[in-house]
Amino acid sequence: MLNFITPIMDTKEYSEIKISEIEPILKINLRGKSRDFITKIGKELSIITPVDPNTSSSNEKLSLLWLSPDEWFLYSNDKIHIKNENFLEDKLFKEISKVKLGSVTNVSDHWIMINLTGTKVYELLSTGCPFNFNNFKNSKGAVVQTLINHIDVIIHNKNVNDLNLFVRRSFSEHLWSWMNDSARFI
Amino acid sequence: MFLINCPYCGERDQSEFSSGGEAHIVRPKQPTELSDDQWAEYLFMRKNIKGVQFERWNHTHGCRKWFNVVRDTSNDIIHAVYKMGEKPPVK
Repeated sequence: MLNFITPIMDTKEYSEIKISEIEPILKINLRGKSRDFITKIGKELSIITPVDPNTSSSNEKLSLLWLSPDEWFLYSNDKIHIKNENFLEDKLFKEISKVKLGSVTNVSDHWIMINLTGTKVYELLSTGCPFNFNNFKNSKGAVVQTLINHIDVIIHNKNVNDLNLFVRRSFSEHLWSWMNDSARFI
Repeated sequence: MFLINCPYCGERDQSEFSSGGEAHIVRPKQPTELSDDQWAEYLFMRKNIKGVQFERWNHTHGCRKWFNVVRDTSNDIIHAVYKMGEKPPVK
């Protein structure tokens, strides 16, 4: 993790919506196809690797999101201490990348995590998103990769009206501005 | 606008996908033995029919996987969706 200065570092509150950027969070992209790879991730992280589409699994410290049949996104539930952060990446790299089971890429500086809470979060997202949230909002742990205002995002349904949204750093300021602007009118 | 049932993620809006053109075009085994016309035929010429067409699509803003779609180009009705490497479920 290069520890770039995050572009947002802010929290905004509107009527029944709270939007805040949560940083620093560890984020690791995992790619692999073999059954051994899936088993290894589960063993190393003490998490059951989600193999069903649009699902996730979590333990006390980490959440693992399904992105595609051969791709997963791992992130820490809480803020990390930058000094200790490399431990997990090194461990996964040693056990997965080095033995050529799959690939482990630290994407902590690539993605920005924005937490959205409140009863009107889905109304906010629906103003610029083609995805139908009807089933999603009732499925705790559901994951979706979609577009919001033409920007690629990953959304993790953490709890009822409590979402973590991941957006690429280069688009994060634009999305942040758009979300704040839209939230004012809901 | 229409919905596409991604074989990996489920039903999503068309705006999440990119079209990859006609499907099931087989690359010649010995390209060096082809004439320029034959090579151009393989490389550029597409049917572009009005009616049921076999197409490749990519879920660009989702799982980023390629798959095949049987779509009626005149009304955008999708008759079938199937994974790469699978045989078309309809003729």
